[in-house]
Amino acid sequence: MLKVIACFKWIMDEADIKVDAGSRRLILDRVGYKISPYDRNAIEEAVLLKERHGANVVAMTVAPPSAKPCLKDALSRGPDNACFVNDPSLVDLDPSQTTNILASAIKGQGEFDLIICGEGSGDLYTQQVGPALAEKLGIPCATYVNKLTYVEAEGRIIAERKLKDCVEVVTMPLPALITVLPDINVPRIPSLKQVLAAGKKPVDSVTLSALGGACETCMQTTGIVAATMERRRQKFGAEQGDIRAAVGALMKEGVIG
Amino acid sequence: MAGIWVFAENREQTLELLNAGKALAMDFATKLTAFARDMESARDYSGHGADEVLLLPPQADDQPLESFVPVIADAAKEDDPDVFLMCATQRGKEMGARIAARLNTGLCTECTGFKADQEKKSLAMERILLGGLAIQTVVPKVRPQMATIAPGTFDPAVHLGDKEGVIRGLPVPPASAVKVVDRTPKQRESVDITEAKVVVCVGRGVEKKEDVELARELARVLGGEVGCSRPVAEELHWLPEEVYLGISGKKIKPDLYVGVGVSGQIQHVAGIRDSKVIFAINQDENAPIFDAADYGIVGDLYQVVPKLIREIKSVLKA
Repeated sequence: MLKVIACFKWIMDEADIKVDAGSRRLILDRVGYKISPYDRNAIEEAVLLKERHGANVVAMTVAPPSAKPCLKDALSRGPDNACFVNDPSLVDLDPSQTTNILASAIKGQGEFDLIICGEGSGDLYTQQVGPALAEKLGIPCATYVNKLTYVEAEGRIIAERKLKDCVEVVTMPLPALITVLPDINVPRIPSLKQVLAAGKKPVDSVTLSALGGACETCMQTTGIVAATMERRRQKFGAEQGDIRAAVGALMKEGVIG
Repeated sequence: MAGIWVFAENREQTLELLNAGKALAMDFATKLTAFARDMESARDYSGHGADEVLLLPPQADDQPLESFVPVIADAAKEDDPDVFLMCATQRGKEMGARIAARLNTGLCTECTGFKADQEKKSLAMERILLGGLAIQTVVPKVRPQMATIAPGTFDPAVHLGDKEGVIRGLPVPPASAVKVVDRTPKQRESVDITEAKVVVCVGRGVEKKEDVELARELARVLGGEVGCSRPVAEELHWLPEEVYLGISGKKIKPDLYVGVGVSGQIQHVAGIRDSKVIFAINQDENAPIFDAADYGIVGDLYQVVPKLIREIKSVLKA
């Protein structure tokens, strides 16, 4: 039976982030967390493979122990079990650190056939972990996949990559890794029953020390500030006079005419 | 060893990175190296400031460009460049991530700008974070200092006259396990939305596909082009994907952006933030687009846009 690993990241919900206008500091006190949007597509694609071909699906993440609610969220979407690599130090990792930890954890899991990652994470969006992980594991990969076919008899996959200038169809033997685009599928919304059942699914909690510790960062973040936009923020109503005034403002800016 | 390396998929992108790299090569008093696919391009890049060109061997039809990763990584191990800039196309980003993994170094994805420290030969690089909400500054701790840079971030290098640079051939890479079965070029759009002076953007507030015509009419009156938000292209398929604006789509810098029924999610705003004037029409006065806009009309777009078209026509006639 196929063994599929869907990697996901538990990220801050950017809609909850406030900005201190004076200092341009991000205010993170009241943020909620969510599964990074494209990783939901990664999980869904793994579960679709399971439904079509039969597969064992593992949802895997690297996070601090406080991210524990992510397990129920991920498992309610259909994976059989979860692998939770956790340690209090696993916060604000750079992509190379996340990649190395995932690679060690996956090596510790034994054999696998396919790893599915999202196109990029909703917070850092470096789009590195998928392809870098393939390189660390020495397996072929296809990025930006919007259609996946598993050729069961031949133990290979056909992946359609949607690139800016072309659609490229590639094939490769398993084990392999793909990163998926959001339009590859529509992630299911878990039912209450699935949410309840998720709590009973097995979770393999892996400590960092079991993996031999974390590596140093390759990229030091020296600052994060809110992106500023100096905008007028002038609102008009919808009456004829308002519209005239708005058009007048655009004329004055010299952007029409 | 030292040097500034640049890699891109095509000539235009290579010239842009050569321009970015030239300033760095001067700062760090080192040479500038580009990659080329054929001799003609290699000479062309020499003429545009490359001191050295690494020539990639021809590929079989079923081999993707990405199969050069091992060869490029090996060359980088050998030469140990200070900086390696790659074009942030999709292939470039994949190759960058894989080369960085092979070199056990970091990579700044979609770097928007950098400051060079001449003494330390190091870079402080900026990139966009959290869907456009924040700017992150990163300093690489490991060599080579790698970044991918989006097309259009730098102006192309100018031709400096025919110059004989060093041209060095790279070995043929091992055959990739990834085989290309088919490649269908996307039809090129007749208009390039990034070149338009005025862009009218269709958002989810537009209810039906036929109503896109309302935005087209407004664009015609303003002498502009029509773009859209990501779901309008990817989920509804009302407009081609080449014209969706946002952090993962097209980034535009028109004189005027007009959002029609655009809510203004930060991922979208990241694609329009360099517009000179942002104008938005939305019936929800709390829509985030109004925080990103210079001028906004709070109202039903189906009422507002026709009035707006009439008003613009009348002032343009006057």
